[in-house]
Amino acid sequence: MFAYIVRRVLATIPVMAIVALFVFSLLYIAPGDPAAVIAGDQATPADVERIRASLGLDRPYLIRFGEWVWRILQGDLGTSIFTNLPVTRMIAQRIEPTLSLMVVTLGLAIAIAVPLGVIAAWKSGSWIDRLVMVFSVLNFSVPVFVVGYLLAYYFALQLDWFPVQGYTPISEGVGRWLQNLVLPAVALGGGYTALIARITRATMLEVLQQDYIRTARAKGAGQRTVLFLHALKNAAVPIVTVIGIGVALLIGGAVVTESVFAIPGLGRLTVDAILRRDYPVIQGVILLFSFAYVLVNLLIDLSYTLFDPRIRY
Amino acid sequence: MERRSFLKLAAGAGGFAATAGGLAAPALAQGAAARTLRFVPQANLANFDPIWGTQYVVRNAAMMVWDTLYGVNSQLQPKRQMVESEEVSDDGLVWTFKLRPGLKFHDGEPVLAKDAVASLNRWAVRDPMGQMIRGIQNELVAVDDRTFRWSLKKPYPKMLLALAKNNSPCSFVMPERIAKTDPFKQIEEHVGSGPLRFKRDQWVPGAQAVFERFDGYVPREEPADWMAGGKRVLVDRVEWKIMPDAATASAALQSGEIDWWETPLPDLVPVLRNDRRIKVDIADPLGNIGSFRMNHLFPPFDNVKARRAILMAASQEDYMRAIVGSDENLFKLLPSFFTPDTPLYTEEGGDILKGERRMDAAKKLLAEAGYKGEPITVLVAQDMAITKAQGDVTADLLKRLGMNLDFVATDWGTVGARRASKEPPGKGGWHIFHTWHAGADCINPASYTAIRANGDQAWFGWPKNEEIEAARDEWFAAPDLPGEKAAVSKMNKLAMDYGMWLPTGFFLSYQAWRSNITGIVKAPIPFVWNVAKA
Amino acid sequence: MSTTILPPGAVSPKSVAKAAPMPDILATRSPPKGFVGYLWRHPTIAVGGFLLLVMLFIAVFAPWLWTKDPTALAPVMRTRNPSAAAWFGTDMLGRDVYSRVLYGARVSLIVGFGVAFFSSVIGLFIGLVSGFVRWADSIIMRIMDGLMSIPSILLAIALMALTRGSVGNVILAITVAEIPRVSRLVRGVVLSLREQPYVDAAIASGTRTPVIIWRHILPNTLAPMTVQATYICAAAMIAEAILSFIGAGTPPIIPSWGNIMAEGRALWQVKPYIVFFPAIFLSITVLAVNLLGDGLRDSLDPRLAKRV
Repeated sequence: MFAYIVRRVLATIPVMAIVALFVFSLLYIAPGDPAAVIAGDQATPADVERIRASLGLDRPYLIRFGEWVWRILQGDLGTSIFTNLPVTRMIAQRIEPTLSLMVVTLGLAIAIAVPLGVIAAWKSGSWIDRLVMVFSVLNFSVPVFVVGYLLAYYFALQLDWFPVQGYTPISEGVGRWLQNLVLPAVALGGGYTALIARITRATMLEVLQQDYIRTARAKGAGQRTVLFLHALKNAAVPIVTVIGIGVALLIGGAVVTESVFAIPGLGRLTVDAILRRDYPVIQGVILLFSFAYVLVNLLIDLSYTLFDPRIRY
Repeated sequence: MERRSFLKLAAGAGGFAATAGGLAAPALAQGAAARTLRFVPQANLANFDPIWGTQYVVRNAAMMVWDTLYGVNSQLQPKRQMVESEEVSDDGLVWTFKLRPGLKFHDGEPVLAKDAVASLNRWAVRDPMGQMIRGIQNELVAVDDRTFRWSLKKPYPKMLLALAKNNSPCSFVMPERIAKTDPFKQIEEHVGSGPLRFKRDQWVPGAQAVFERFDGYVPREEPADWMAGGKRVLVDRVEWKIMPDAATASAALQSGEIDWWETPLPDLVPVLRNDRRIKVDIADPLGNIGSFRMNHLFPPFDNVKARRAILMAASQEDYMRAIVGSDENLFKLLPSFFTPDTPLYTEEGGDILKGERRMDAAKKLLAEAGYKGEPITVLVAQDMAITKAQGDVTADLLKRLGMNLDFVATDWGTVGARRASKEPPGKGGWHIFHTWHAGADCINPASYTAIRANGDQAWFGWPKNEEIEAARDEWFAAPDLPGEKAAVSKMNKLAMDYGMWLPTGFFLSYQAWRSNITGIVKAPIPFVWNVAKA
Repeated sequence: MSTTILPPGAVSPKSVAKAAPMPDILATRSPPKGFVGYLWRHPTIAVGGFLLLVMLFIAVFAPWLWTKDPTALAPVMRTRNPSAAAWFGTDMLGRDVYSRVLYGARVSLIVGFGVAFFSSVIGLFIGLVSGFVRWADSIIMRIMDGLMSIPSILLAIALMALTRGSVGNVILAITVAEIPRVSRLVRGVVLSLREQPYVDAAIASGTRTPVIIWRHILPNTLAPMTVQATYICAAAMIAEAILSFIGAGTPPIIPSWGNIMAEGRALWQVKPYIVFFPAIFLSITVLAVNLLGDGLRDSLDPRLAKRV
């Protein structure tokens, strides 16, 4: 078990190395000269050359890559070209809203999708099954920002149930924090909910045909016990796996959702950085998101033993 | 600090704890929230050095944080602000200024004459009027703690206007050690002299900037009038909320999540007007002048005929409607380079911009200018509604003139960098870009950089025309209004004939605020003094 | 996440994700024969295919469907509500939204099909190399793992930041983000087929690799790849809209659905139709492709079809 964990953790190192190499190359091949940007409009070519040397931009690719990685390992992601602030500081300022949005969306999606999927599988072929499936295909097909604007229009402007935009730090009260996050989470969670509902339905269908379910039923276990205790537990591994894979969907969606709802998080930082070609920030955010994604899936891999005692490593 | 918070992130835990900045600021009591003015500015405050960066948004924020030696009032007259009194020698060569007593920086240190001298030195390198003064300066020295002297080789009658003007950069006073920063490098510290202090630790570029009232500030006795008079701040805290999405800002104003929106989209104004909790008014009576700038260094626009062809064919109404929308109160056609309804306004030579647009004549002129279908590089910033709208109209115009289009859709920062390139358009240079000038800058030639025609030294596009420059000198030398008028009329005529650039029209913009806010004035800058929240 | 190690006997998440067929919306009555019968048994293919054909028709024949020049400005006529003169109204520059939306179908479909095609071809090639060339396998798969751990929209956004917006670059950026998925799929098929006795026999009898690929591998990858390609096509169209919406997609001068929506977003409250019409068209198109994918999966994978 312990050996497995170690092996599994070590396996993420080459993955992160590839990500780092890719992200670094991004800046390396980026058009435009960071030295010229830093020097400003009025600089002479000699100034630019001096800055380039002082930044070490005139040295070979691999050496620069090595130094870059070394700095990252020390917690230095460089300085934003545009704001002149350290990238780590910009990220730290913005991580809470994004993390909150992700957590709320995740919770909401699982709370809705899993029961829906289970019911759809149980009543396979019924109207409720069809409804769940239609809902899920529709959710895959409508862009996040359209859903976002619709929600904001009806639930915030017309009905005045939720704020239209913005973010309240959790330190100012969980109630207000949550109130600000409901609409963005619903908008962002649509496709994700659909994904989880589909996988839950499919796995449950398979599990419900297994012998031990029939045995449980024959022994007189109640419908609810069979569905949610015996069957769901056995269907957990693929469901949890998809929850992990789907986090990518959430990260991509957050970029859009945050600009629709004016949430000062990492997604908006990404969009701003892209529009201004602020490469150090782009690098930092992509690195962080990828790291988070790898980490989530690592944890999910390690959690399999909890769900399925048959799995031993 | 930075490193520690990153490691926390890296650990994947403690994300909440790692929030260093203002997003997790201590909870504000309800009463305090009512004393916070939440303001949506026109753009992101991405950098904050009002001498180094001259965007309007930087100047507007700086206006709260740093005080100026003089300031213009709503009549655009220079008034004393930090200065208590000034003296000028009879020959007009020696100016002696005395600072008000009791002025303090935000770190508690007194404001001394040496601080003013250092600040003016830095300012004069970057400011067009400052450069003129530097060109004729003998010396600028502190005489004692409160007195400094500026002696010149030639008289400079517009000295007070230079120190009072609202055009960026303004004569902001910073502590000497900060003002000694290279004018071409950004300052790292924000120790102000103005009525509000900048909370650098709560600054989240792209999301928010926070300013708190500075209790050590000593306002003047006179009532506040634009940059002049007593700058009394009636709220505890001003929060700038950056909202690039107009729909979001509009909704936030309607739901009361923000108090004041600097630049509401004209198309959304009817919705805001319908809401009795919201007030809408013209923001700045001096408005803005749209600009279609051509590169005089390369064909076809190195030829006056090609530039005149553009002036002949372009429809200002198209540009204006694209910028301000359907509200006809918001724009004026402008056969002039100067701000309408101001004393020096003239339409001399502006006939080419009036009446039916002459497409065929323009095509003929283009052919005479030797245009043979080479691609025209148009830089269009997509992140600014005004430049984007102008770019779309220009694309259509060039298409109808039979010109080939190389439409470079990019952001304002990139346009800002690329427009400085004198390379050929195909090799990183450009033919056309758009921007706009605040009407306040265009009432006279004083700090109207876009009207200069001194070739390499001129503003981007580098027009070169000695007659226009001579007419400009006549204005500076003019002793009275008729003299100034004659000089400006001459400039306008010459610049039109020369096809210097295309003014795409004059337009106003709105501002909107919640009706529990009082004291908002019409001005080119959103002044927060005297603004109260009920 | 590719480094996911699945417990033995567990259903692969990928195959299960695709194993959830759309229940037939129409109940089967008397099954007809032939192509019509096929469509009858797979109503999702019929519906999806029909909608997609309609969109293709619109894209190809846009100039003849009573459209105007989609880029012609008329600022005097701006933000007019839908009417007989302008069926979908006009936008903030007075351009005809109907014409823009119809021409926009071209961009979306080109991007969707382009990405599906290129990522399939390149992914197939990489997957085959990975499946047959032992020493290259681990290197290639590590690179694919790395690429896959960058969320695909972010990857596409980052690539777009490097280049100037153009339809070709959008296709390229989304393709790069999708290649790992295809190549892993192909590699999986290759590895499982290599275990099959008849392939084993073919290899043992000295059949050359290209022949094995042609005879045994390609026919077996075709079905899962077709299904995968439809999903990629749908994802790519959404991705294009998102990229354009945040300003990192097709150049704004080209009327794509994402661009039309991006330009209309500020007026969402007052002129919702500018966003509404392209959103409907985009959603219908993506829905059509998704339905087609679901139907194809059911019909091409008899094992799954039988199971439900």
